[in-house]
Amino acid sequence: MTRSRRKNCNAINAASFARWIVMTAFLALAGLSYVYLTLQLYHLGERKKAIENELASLRTQNDVTNVQIAALTSRSALQRRLKEGYLKMIPISENNIVRLTFPPRPERENAIRPVINQSGTR
Amino acid sequence: MNPNSRRRSALVCTAFIVLFSVFSFRLIYLQVIKHDEYAELAAEKHGYKQIIYAERGTIFDVNNDVLAHNVPLETVVADATRLNNPQAVVSLLSDELDIPTDALVEKLSSERRYIVIKRGLSESLAGTLREKLRANNLRGIYFQHDASRIYPNGSMLCHVIGFTDFEHHGIQGVEASMDEYLRGQDGYRYVERDRAGQEIVPYRGQERAPRDGYQIHLSIDLALQNIVENEIDAAMKEYSPQKATIILMRPQTGEILAMANRPNFDLNLRSEAKPEEMKNRAIIDMMEPGSTFKIVAAATALNEHKFAPDSTLFCENGLWNYGGADLHDHRAFGYLSVRDILIKSSNIGAAKLALGVGEEKFYEYIRRFGFGERTGIELPGEINGVIRPPRLWSKISITRIPMGHEIGVTPLQMTVAMATIANQGKLIMPRIVKSVTAADGKLVSSLSPVVLRQVISPETAAQIGDALRGVVSDRGTAAAAAVPGFTIAGKTGTAQKVALNGGYEKGKYVVSFVGYLPADHPEFVGLVVLDDTHTSKPELNYGGLVAGPIFSRVAEKAARYLDLEPHEEIRKAIPLEPVQRNIPGERNRAPRRAATVERVALTNASRH
Repeated sequence: MTRSRRKNCNAINAASFARWIVMTAFLALAGLSYVYLTLQLYHLGERKKAIENELASLRTQNDVTNVQIAALTSRSALQRRLKEGYLKMIPISENNIVRLTFPPRPERENAIRPVINQSGTR
Repeated sequence: MNPNSRRRSALVCTAFIVLFSVFSFRLIYLQVIKHDEYAELAAEKHGYKQIIYAERGTIFDVNNDVLAHNVPLETVVADATRLNNPQAVVSLLSDELDIPTDALVEKLSSERRYIVIKRGLSESLAGTLREKLRANNLRGIYFQHDASRIYPNGSMLCHVIGFTDFEHHGIQGVEASMDEYLRGQDGYRYVERDRAGQEIVPYRGQERAPRDGYQIHLSIDLALQNIVENEIDAAMKEYSPQKATIILMRPQTGEILAMANRPNFDLNLRSEAKPEEMKNRAIIDMMEPGSTFKIVAAATALNEHKFAPDSTLFCENGLWNYGGADLHDHRAFGYLSVRDILIKSSNIGAAKLALGVGEEKFYEYIRRFGFGERTGIELPGEINGVIRPPRLWSKISITRIPMGHEIGVTPLQMTVAMATIANQGKLIMPRIVKSVTAADGKLVSSLSPVVLRQVISPETAAQIGDALRGVVSDRGTAAAAAVPGFTIAGKTGTAQKVALNGGYEKGKYVVSFVGYLPADHPEFVGLVVLDDTHTSKPELNYGGLVAGPIFSRVAEKAARYLDLEPHEEIRKAIPLEPVQRNIPGERNRAPRRAATVERVALTNASRH
C-alpha cells in the first residue's frame, strides 16, 4: 500500500524548478530592464534636447551681445558719439605712454613731435 | 479513417497550405521586394535630414576690430501637412508677424511640407511666438536658425568688405573673394519626429557637425581707414568730384592699409544703394594717369642707361611738333636734366626719354611695372587696364604714353608702380587679406609678401626716388603735398577727362598725387585721385594743388598714428598757402598762389 502510494506521487525536481524560476526571473528582469532603459533613453533624449536648446540659446545670446559690442565700439559709432558730445578726447601726455618698442629718438631729447601741417589746415 | 474522411482532411490541409502560402508570399513581397519603397515612405513620413547651418566667418581688420559679423535670427517655416488648426495658426501668425491674413491663407492652403512664412525674425519675437504656439497647442510651425550679416562700421570700407545675398553667398568685396573660407560647411542630422512633430531624440541617425566659416583678417587698419575716409569726405565736400579714391599701401609687403572710394554706400542698407555707389573704383575704374606715369618713362631710361639722372634734354621751349602733332609743356622749358623732367613735369622731356629707349623697350617696362594685368589683390572684379602693344601704336603714341595718355590704368596699379620705386625696384603683389584663422583662433593660412619681379635696379629706384623728393619741394609741382618733419617723394598728375564718345571733355580733369613717406625708408605709399574736381578757379585744378594737400593731410595723420619719427632738421617745412576753397563767400578773395600759377592752353591736356 505504502509502496503503491509512493509510486503515484510525482517528485519535484528541485534543480529543474529552480532553473525555471531563475530563467523566468531573468526574462522578467530583462523585460523590465528593457522597458526601464527604453524609458530612460527617452528621458535622457529629452534632457539632451533641452540642454542642446539651452546651449543654442546661450550661443545666440552670446552672438547678439557680440554684435551689440561690435556695434557700440565700432569707429563709426564712437565718432558719432564724439560728435554728439557723449565722449571727449584729450591728448595723452608723453609720460603716460608706455612703449613696448621705443622708436629711435633724435639726439635732442626735447624734440617736438610732428607739427600741424600749415598747408593742410582746413 | 475511411477514404472520405482522409480526402476531406487532405482538402482542408491543402486549403490551409494555399492560404498560408498566399500570406507568406504577400509577406515576402512586402518585406523583401517592396522593402525599400515602403521604408522610404515611412522615413519620409517621420524622418528627415535636418541641416545644421554653419555660421559664416567674421571679418576683422589688422587690429582685430570687427568689420563683418553675424546676428542670429530665426526663419518661420510651416509644414502644411502637420497643421492641426490652420485657422488658429493663421490668426496667430497674422497678428504676431504682421502678415496679411489672405497671404497667409494662400501660403498654407498648399500641401507643401516646407513653406517659408517669414525670414529675419529676431530671437525675442521668435521666442514669444514659440510660447504662444505651445500654449495654444498649435502644430505645424517650426523655427529655423538663420543669421543676418551686420557691418558695424556702416559705409566705412564698404567696397572692400562687400556684402552677401540673403542666402549668405558673398556678392562683392572680400565677402565674395573669400566666400569659400567664410562660408564654412553645413552639417546634418537624420532625425525622426513623433505625431506632434517633435523630434524623437533616441532615434537620431547619422550626424555630422557643421564647420563654421573661417575668420578673415585683413591688412586694413581701421584707424588709417578712418583718416582716409575723413579726408575723402572733406575732399568731396570741398571739390565735389564725381569720383574719388584714396589708397594707402605698405610698399615692402604689399599690404593695403586703407582703401576708400566715393561715391559709397552703407553696407547695412545695401538694398538702397545705387550700382554706381557699389563700384570699387580702386580696381575697376580705368583712368588715364597723366603725369604720374612719367616715373615709368624716367625709370626705363635710367635703368637702360640711356640717360643719367643729370643728363640734359632740350625741352623745345614748351612746344614741340612731333609726328605732325604739337606737344606742349605747361611752361616753356629749355634744357632740363632727367631729374628736373620729373620735378618740373615736362611732357616733352618725358616723351624724349621714351623715344630714347624705343617703343619695344618702353612697352616692356610698362608691362614689367604691372600695367595691363591684374595685380592679383584678393578682391573681385579687378580689371587689367588698357595697354596696347607697340604694333597698335600711332606715330605719336611714343610721345603721349610717357605722360600718361593713350593708356588706361587702375588707381591700384598706379599705387603698386609707385610702391615699386619705394621698394628698391621690386614689384610686389598688393594684398588685402593678412591671414585666415579658424573659429578657435588656430591659424589656417597666413599670406606672406609676394615679390613678383625686380623691375628696375635698386640704384635706378633710388635715382627716381631722389627726383621725386624734388617734386615735393618749392621747385616741384607738389610743394603743397609736403608734410612737416618728413621727406616725401611723389608725383602729381592732371589728366583731361576722357569723354565716353572719344576725345577729351573740355574743362574736366582727373587730378592725382601718388607718393610715399618717409622718402628714405618708406612706411607707406599713398594715392589720391579725384575725378572731375570743381575748384573756385580753373587754374587751381591741378594735381599738386588739389590732390597734393589731401595727400599731405592723410600722410601727416598717418605718420602720427604710425608713430613715425620726424626729422628735426626738416620739421619746419616749406611754408605754403592753402589752396583756395570753393566756398561761395570766399570767391571774390583772390588766392595768393593763383598769381604764381601759369595756365597754358594745352591741346594735349596734360599738365603737371
